[in-house]
Amino acid sequence: MGWLHTWSGLLLGWLLFAIYVTGTLSYFRNEITFWMQPELHRAQAVPTEQIAFVRALALLEREASGAQQWTLTLPNPRNPTLGLGWQTAMGGDRQASPGAARERPERSEARGGRGGSAPDSAAEGRPFSGDAARERTGRGEARGERGEEGARRRGRGEEGASAPDSAERRPFPADAARERPDWGEARGAGNASAPQEARPQGSGTGAQAQRQGRGGGGRGARIVLDPASGDKLEGRATAGGNFLYRFHFELYGMDRTTGRWIVGIATVFMFVALVSGVIVHRRIFKDFFTFRSGKGKRSWLDAHNASSVLSLPFHLIITFSGLVLFGHMMIPTAVQSAYGGDNNAYYGVMRSSMGAAETPQASGERAPLITRFAPLIAEAENTWGDGKRVGSITITHPGDRNAVIELRQMNFPGLTGGRNVPTLRFNGVTGEPLGASAPREQSAVQAVGSVLNLLHRGFFATPVPRWLLFLSGVGGALMIASGLVMWTIARARKTAEAARTHWGHRLVEVLNIASIAGLMAAIAVHFWANRLIPASLPARADWEIYAFFIAWAVMFPHAALRRPKAAWVEQLACAGVLFALLPLLNAATGGLALPGSIAGGTGLLVGFDLCALVSGAGLLFAAYKVHTHVPRVRLAAAPTRGEEPDPDPGPETEPGASLPVTMEEAA
Amino acid sequence: MKTPARLIASPSAWHRINVGVRTGLAAFGGYGLALLGAAAFAVGLPFDFRPDAVSLAIMLAFLLQLVAIIWVFAAATLTRAVLGLAVPAALFGLWLWLLK
Repeated sequence: MGWLHTWSGLLLGWLLFAIYVTGTLSYFRNEITFWMQPELHRAQAVPTEQIAFVRALALLEREASGAQQWTLTLPNPRNPTLGLGWQTAMGGDRQASPGAARERPERSEARGGRGGSAPDSAAEGRPFSGDAARERTGRGEARGERGEEGARRRGRGEEGASAPDSAERRPFPADAARERPDWGEARGAGNASAPQEARPQGSGTGAQAQRQGRGGGGRGARIVLDPASGDKLEGRATAGGNFLYRFHFELYGMDRTTGRWIVGIATVFMFVALVSGVIVHRRIFKDFFTFRSGKGKRSWLDAHNASSVLSLPFHLIITFSGLVLFGHMMIPTAVQSAYGGDNNAYYGVMRSSMGAAETPQASGERAPLITRFAPLIAEAENTWGDGKRVGSITITHPGDRNAVIELRQMNFPGLTGGRNVPTLRFNGVTGEPLGASAPREQSAVQAVGSVLNLLHRGFFATPVPRWLLFLSGVGGALMIASGLVMWTIARARKTAEAARTHWGHRLVEVLNIASIAGLMAAIAVHFWANRLIPASLPARADWEIYAFFIAWAVMFPHAALRRPKAAWVEQLACAGVLFALLPLLNAATGGLALPGSIAGGTGLLVGFDLCALVSGAGLLFAAYKVHTHVPRVRLAAAPTRGEEPDPDPGPETEPGASLPVTMEEAA
Repeated sequence: MKTPARLIASPSAWHRINVGVRTGLAAFGGYGLALLGAAAFAVGLPFDFRPDAVSLAIMLAFLLQLVAIIWVFAAATLTRAVLGLAVPAALFGLWLWLLK
């Protein structure tokens, strides 16, 4: 079992470390995206009464008069701007489809559920749905790819299915895309526009999204306004936190499905390593309270155990729920067997089970839309009570006599409440209430799936649980890093005895350095690139990502060419300096500087800058510890091996390293 | 769960083969068992709402895979490792066959 634990952990450990780190950062991807668009930093969230709805609606009227649906995402704690999005169905589907017309709001509702919720929520749903579509559309593949689109959507639906709850809703896009290619396409682009989804990408991508959407033949776009003035904010194009987020589960530069399979397989390794680790470690709870510092391998083992056990439930749940998110992709036999391979039938059942709310079709007669949203918002907030706030407003058929205004609650009802974010609908012309969404009942299985999904993706999380998830993720990254380093430490003596370092040992060592310290440095470089690449450069969002990969790629030859100790110190110090200086860079390149964000109560910027400082300090501390580390101490401390001082300080240099690793993530 | 002595023994030809076979068993056997189990559970679990069975089947499949992999490496002999996969696979197959 020890063997299984060692090898299942080592083989894909480097990849798992990257997955853990990027996933951990993804809990704050809205904040990261916001930080990466300094143009938006000075927007001030204002109470709903003061939001410039009239100007926003005028803007929508001007830019998106033909759109079938407009969405306004109100300022929230995780994004103080007012987001406008719209989505225009292709000519064909709008009329063609009573079905479509009916489905769409429904679907957007679903999205809202994911997105609208927490301030955070904005981003969350996206990658699994709209985002993907958008990106693809952007590449102009949409047309050629419709079939595949269907498939992808289905794929997405499947993922969601892991959370029965979400699956329930996903079927829409899947089916719609397949049955009505045009619709699917419009959707794809439309998603980008749905503020909830686009939000994380921020306005910066708005332009991009627009471009992409158009290029692909879909229609949809998104712009960001200062909520108080209604002025348009032009954020730079950036993938923002979404790059890290997507990397977390589908890597980069390869087919989505391939990336997901790789991550899925790595997750299986993780699962096996975790459970075999628990089995191997019989005295798990006793050891948890033990830490013997300065004892070489023993200390590493203690660190590994402590970081593992401290958040063991988190690791188990996050790993298992990660698998379940990929469930339909990785275990296709379940649907095949139950529905004879007819996935349409499966999603059909799911859909019929949810009882879509009816939205009137467009009448074709024009009528002015209400522009005073304040009374509607007041009514909604009264109805919900409990301090619940409106997160987004969706207007279907704006300008038509049958326009419908739907207000969606800002937060998820809670971890166990599923993804049914309460909504309230009004007639868009008369303002007459059309009723509230009925809470959907969940079966036990759906509830389990829903909880797994919500936990993994942190949808429900208010700040405190979000930070706990984040810290657990940091603990997980530490666990992996210390485990990886321990592999080389445990074999240090053998290596030292041998005349030459075994190539396998050396390989592990190099990979450890470059994928632990190097990844941290690369992430820091990514943030630097965000500020140093001119805002007007074409394809700048891509270049931010290339900068990340180039920096990371450089770390491998560096680690291979330098002695291990030097490589650790240099890469850690590099990452540390880059992180520590981020707040300064932020201030110097147009962002709202730390004093200003603290004074202005812009918590998300304060959080980012402080995390960067803490990470930088941690990394530098680690570099210092590695630098001053005297290998012999460790050997002498290990009683059984005391005889021979290690001639090669290489393997031992690592001890300091694991610490830094953890800290970096804080960024 | 004690690691079989053979896994720890110094590398020898037999050891390498043994580990290789177990690795193959874990990778393909574990996954195969998961797929088969999911197929059976998806039809066999008593839920009125079939998608519930499908979702649960998927969750159980991952647990099945986990247990299978651990079993393959924990079993004292290769024969036991194989049997540990073959017997449940046969049972799931039979169950599936009876259900269809």
